[in-house]
Amino acid sequence: MVRQPSPPPSSTPPLLTPAGLWQGVVQLAPVAVFFVPFGIAFGVVAGTKGMSAIQSILFSLMAFSSSAQFSTLEFWHGTVAWGSLALAVIAINARNVVMGAALAPWVNRMPLAQRLPTVALLNDANFAVAHAAFKGGARDMGLLLGSGLVLWAAWIFGAVVGAVAGQAFGNPAAFGFDVVMLCFLTAMVTGMVKRSAQLVPVVVGAAVAVLTLHLFPTGWNVIAGAFAGAAAGSLLDA
Amino acid sequence: MPDPFSAWAAILLASVLTLATRLAGPIVMAFLPMSARVERFLQNLSLAVLAALVASMLARGGLREAASAAVACAVMLGLRRSIWAMAAGMICAAGWSFVAG
Repeated sequence: MVRQPSPPPSSTPPLLTPAGLWQGVVQLAPVAVFFVPFGIAFGVVAGTKGMSAIQSILFSLMAFSSSAQFSTLEFWHGTVAWGSLALAVIAINARNVVMGAALAPWVNRMPLAQRLPTVALLNDANFAVAHAAFKGGARDMGLLLGSGLVLWAAWIFGAVVGAVAGQAFGNPAAFGFDVVMLCFLTAMVTGMVKRSAQLVPVVVGAAVAVLTLHLFPTGWNVIAGAFAGAAAGSLLDA
Repeated sequence: MPDPFSAWAAILLASVLTLATRLAGPIVMAFLPMSARVERFLQNLSLAVLAALVASMLARGGLREAASAAVACAVMLGLRRSIWAMAAGMICAAGWSFVAG
């Protein structure tokens, strides 16, 4: 849980300095190294689903969200199910809203023009580092932006390599590339469950999605599962 | 595979919505504080939608996919590193295809 009953930040206003940016880059560089293979995996899988190299690279550049991008591939059919794609992307990234809200006490005291770039690259990894530092008294928002930039660069680099190298794999199943998305999302869910109460949204979400698979048009079973799971989780974990 | 126009539109839609979720937190908090209840619902939503996606992939897949996901889950529980979980799941699937021909 990111919400903390922490006292309001001290009277020192937040800063955005090159030194802070660099600190963010250096601090998250070891994590960024691990973003590269994920970026490669996305580029390769996107290619096997029929996404062109330029499309998957620009997608990684603009979205910078592994779970949202992999999930979009689930909707990569002749006719795009626009409504369920949109809702799925919002639901997957709903945690960004929570993380952004937790950073608001610092972000909202910056000049308006600096707020957008600072939170535009917000993700699980740089949130964890920056939020802990700010709560500990750090005031340089460059930490958040710099760490976002280094992770973003690694993600794009991986996507370029994957999109180009992807052409080399004739049969994706022979290398297990067809299960990358499944295994990645499975690992995400597994890693996000930290308390037994969080199994409720997982189990209910999964069950409803499977039960309604043939009931609803493409993708809407996922939305049904998502909202049923979130509602059940919130009711039982009140 | 969508036609080029739909493809670009889908990419743009997913990108813009993702950015919107990143900006929403500070914007919302500037006007009204988020209740613990809303926060918990949003956390659960992220979790439930991923679980729903995995479940529908498994429902459409076979034993090979189920085994790969199980391996990925087990490795994630043991090592807490998603990169190794993903790799182990891929090795499982590739091995399965190799053996089953």
